[in-house]
Amino acid sequence: MIALADPLPERVRRGASGIVGTIVILLAWELAARALAGAYILAAPSDVVVHILQNSDLIWRALRETLGNATLGYVLGNLAAIGLAGAALAWPRAEPVVAGLALLVFCLPLVATGPILRVLYGPGPGPQITLAALAVYYTTFVPLLVGLRAAPASWFELLRSYGRGRLAELVHIRARASLPYLFAGLQIAAPAAFLGAMVGEFTGAERGLGLLAIRAIRALDIAGIWALASISAAVSILIYTAVGWLSRAVLRDPPPMILAPPALPRTGHAQGLAATVMRTAFVLAMALLLWWGAMTTFDLNPFFAKRPDDVWVALFTATDARETRETLAGALGETVVFLLPGFAGGLALGAGLAILLTLAPALTPSATLIAVALRSVPILTTAPLIVLLLGRGAAGTITLVAVMVFFPTFVACLHGLRQAPGQILDVFSTYAAGPFARLWHVQVPVMLPAFFAAARMSVPASVLAVTVVEWLATGRGIGSLMALSASLSDYDMLWSSVVIVSVLSALGYAGIGWVERRVLTVFASEQVAR
Amino acid sequence: MVANTDNGASPDIQCRSLTKAFPGNVEVLRPLDLEIAGGETTALVGPSGCGKSTLLRLIAGLETPSAGEVLIGGVSPAEMLRDAGLAVAFQDPSLLPWRSVRGNIELALKLARRPADPRAVEDLIRLVGLEGFADTRPGALSGGMRQRAAIARSMVTRPRLLLLDEPFGAVDELTRRQLADDLPPLWEKRQTTTLLVTHSIGEAVLLSDRVLVLTPRPAEIIADIRIELERPRAPAVTGSTEFRRLVEAVSEALAEGVRATKPPLAAQ
Amino acid sequence: MAYFKPNRRTVLAAGTASAASAVLGLSAPRARATTPVSLQLSWLHSVQFAGSYIARARGWWAEDGLDVSLLQGGPNAPVEPPVVSGSALVGISAADYTAAAVEQGAPFRILGVAMQKNPFVIASLLANPVREPADLSGKKIGMALANMPVLQALCTLNGVDVEAIEVVPTQYSAQPLLAGEVDCLLCWETDLPVAMAMEGIESVTMLMADYGYAVHSQTYIATEESLTERRDQLVALMSGEVRGWEAYRADTDAAAALTLEAYPDAGLDLKTQKLQAARQVPLMFSELTDEHGFGWWTDQTVEANIETLALLGRKVSPALWDRSILEEVHGG
Repeated sequence: MIALADPLPERVRRGASGIVGTIVILLAWELAARALAGAYILAAPSDVVVHILQNSDLIWRALRETLGNATLGYVLGNLAAIGLAGAALAWPRAEPVVAGLALLVFCLPLVATGPILRVLYGPGPGPQITLAALAVYYTTFVPLLVGLRAAPASWFELLRSYGRGRLAELVHIRARASLPYLFAGLQIAAPAAFLGAMVGEFTGAERGLGLLAIRAIRALDIAGIWALASISAAVSILIYTAVGWLSRAVLRDPPPMILAPPALPRTGHAQGLAATVMRTAFVLAMALLLWWGAMTTFDLNPFFAKRPDDVWVALFTATDARETRETLAGALGETVVFLLPGFAGGLALGAGLAILLTLAPALTPSATLIAVALRSVPILTTAPLIVLLLGRGAAGTITLVAVMVFFPTFVACLHGLRQAPGQILDVFSTYAAGPFARLWHVQVPVMLPAFFAAARMSVPASVLAVTVVEWLATGRGIGSLMALSASLSDYDMLWSSVVIVSVLSALGYAGIGWVERRVLTVFASEQVAR
Repeated sequence: MVANTDNGASPDIQCRSLTKAFPGNVEVLRPLDLEIAGGETTALVGPSGCGKSTLLRLIAGLETPSAGEVLIGGVSPAEMLRDAGLAVAFQDPSLLPWRSVRGNIELALKLARRPADPRAVEDLIRLVGLEGFADTRPGALSGGMRQRAAIARSMVTRPRLLLLDEPFGAVDELTRRQLADDLPPLWEKRQTTTLLVTHSIGEAVLLSDRVLVLTPRPAEIIADIRIELERPRAPAVTGSTEFRRLVEAVSEALAEGVRATKPPLAAQ
Repeated sequence: MAYFKPNRRTVLAAGTASAASAVLGLSAPRARATTPVSLQLSWLHSVQFAGSYIARARGWWAEDGLDVSLLQGGPNAPVEPPVVSGSALVGISAADYTAAAVEQGAPFRILGVAMQKNPFVIASLLANPVREPADLSGKKIGMALANMPVLQALCTLNGVDVEAIEVVPTQYSAQPLLAGEVDCLLCWETDLPVAMAMEGIESVTMLMADYGYAVHSQTYIATEESLTERRDQLVALMSGEVRGWEAYRADTDAAAALTLEAYPDAGLDLKTQKLQAARQVPLMFSELTDEHGFGWWTDQTVEANIETLALLGRKVSPALWDRSILEEVHGG
């Protein structure tokens, strides 16, 4: 066994700070609950414990069900992410298609997919597992794609000198280089899978924590609501911690220095543009084909499973097409107002906190605890609390969106900051450079690929978040429009909304990608090289 | 500028019972005593993996000794680091990929909290033969060019102690000769104490005032050879009998060290 | 195919025979091979659907050759898709949702009406009550914005200026009312007021059906295709429902107990379920059902529905309601 030099004090210190942090959080929670008693918003931890003990049988059965589905979804979703990323790297021509379709599938809102999955699977855990998998694959896929490129050019040259191709690169170099990013994805996925399985239960599942949550909210069972929230947070924190532990056990070597030849400028502007248009058109065609093909293959009834041509008719040729477009535009306008500040705020907070924690590592356990908890507590539970604190106006919605964006960004940046090569930090040590100099000159630049990955995957995530918040809490915007359309069987409107949301996400993604290319050409040319 | 205390312009190095073991009880350095005079250039020569680089890192304050201590001009390496009194050129050039050659060199000044000095930066770029590549980023340079940039970076802060770990490993023969001509006079002029780790016996003899030969791990000093060749050393000096004798002496000591630590056949 | 068609008398006779075994928790013997069909519920399992649980527990469906799966609904489980696609034979919907689906091309018919009176209420607290529509003026109401047409219809029916009401979009919970954020809620008689009562908070509920809001709720829907192709199954299913709900009415406490027994994982509370079961009775049973049987409607009630639905922006024809199945069930 290899023991690190003098490991105990550091670990003990961290552990102690984690315990102290937990106690402080619990105390603050208890006090806040006491202060809010009578408002039916927040239950004290003591009440939560009592509730769990009193209903331990029921909760245990529900937890087993939800956790089982979440675990299966987690495994399947991450395997899918690994498969997709591997395929994209082994056959680089396929990458834009794989990445584009992965984005579009991730954009599909629950309101549209839930009923379809239920019809496809019938009763049973199928939809829950699928929705859990759908909730995680993308946030693993995107960082993984970055990680698969995060290797020095000389390593690839070595393999090429033996006459080996892209598959060998994947197996011998990229797989290993991607591990830090894979672990980031796996950590981000932990709360997402659990929440995905819970929300999946909203499609008519027979048992599980998600069902108990709906029931508790309607029954004013505040202790019950917070018991479920606590359990979901605790499970997520456990998985998160376990993956973190695994990553530290596996990634013992300091990250390598990544030197890559500068990215070649795109061949001619006009030609580059033409290529982009061609690629986009191809991805679009594939998406439409997949959409139509899937619905036809599964013989989904066109009453609720609208095909591309139905949406075209609804948006452009139907007699009320103009009205439909206006309704959509109005809802979209309401949504974007919340979306953009929430996205930007979440991104800034996530990167900011990750940076802060590299300066003050003692705070890491407590801060991580809160971050995971924030992400894993269902919106249904936190919405009333946030409404109480921030009101029903824009601030509340923006905060809820920011929370959803914050977490993946935070985790990705935390891992990104750790990619600072040991040798460079040695150089900095020899100049007695302070933590700020390390941060500014080394850690932040090496974090950039992870940060941009987080920004890209946060685009659809924030759109999904805002639609869920609108659906469950505020009743405005495109999320609410989709829910209303589903309840009124206006599936033309629903699928038109899905298309709009997807287009919005794809545009945001492309926009971030554009900035990313420009920044990473300087800071991580290995990411931009083709 | 930080006022110098007693670790004056050319600090000496004292290692007292310096010991280093890595986790798993891998003993790299046995209690080692070593004194290096201020202002001299000393080369450390030894077989691969004998602990030369560890010794260098201990002196640079990048590793903490398991026992014993290092004093540089009477103070600890940590204190020496604090006012950027030393600089290291690592075996791996360790340049920031997103900064140009010039940017990397300038960064050292900034990190050492020294005022910007464009003239000195340009001079060093010329000295290491990278004129024309000042604005190129490391990814587009050859390995040797990167190493030269790292050497320039190590010298820009005018360190009183310069630690060089295989600095010419990837540098081509021609440039290497050029550097061997150009660098020592500068060290001499600046009265830099220089410690050089190298595999090349010829290079050790050519550049140094003293060569220390180490045994295989755990490292012990098996020979301490003074190089009394005149400075500045013209390229022709490598052809002299004295040079050849010194090279011979160092190789002999190296071989002796390896023989001495090899266990006798009977014990195997 | 000569298929056994139950009428009221045979149904009752068979019912008494197997009731005893069902009360003892035994499942009824299966007379013959059964056809699996599904009934898509509109929400999570609760006493709201207890009539179906009774029908299943007492084997009344099995007697008629049906093996009925009760598919749970939920926040993201609309009723229409499974019924349209045929994975559910019958769905529990409401006249307004059914009308909307029909407008979108769904070939639905309403076969029965479980809730004669629409369960929507305006719930308020004793200190600041809303007892009649006029009281709404100047009040803050918490509701889902999606229900705006409902509020508008109520106001139109009663000559109240909807502009004088401040609408606060809230999630479906009594919490904003109790926190004082709103003065009243738009909710169902049988859920949030029951939750408040269980917390010891007395609330005032104004049933919108008492003020002209006539929209049949908890309606049984099926497709036209099923009505022609799977008629026997529909009759058998509805017959079980009718018997189940009659039994429910006879002992709502037993129905609540059965619900908990059938769904131990649903997290239901017996006291809450008993109260909900009792509060549901006046919505489901009326002089009309006493006279004609469970689920019944008349041309007059349909007429009233069509008027209210018009206020909700839905144009409906009386043909949406198809009483032929109920007529078969209730007396052949």
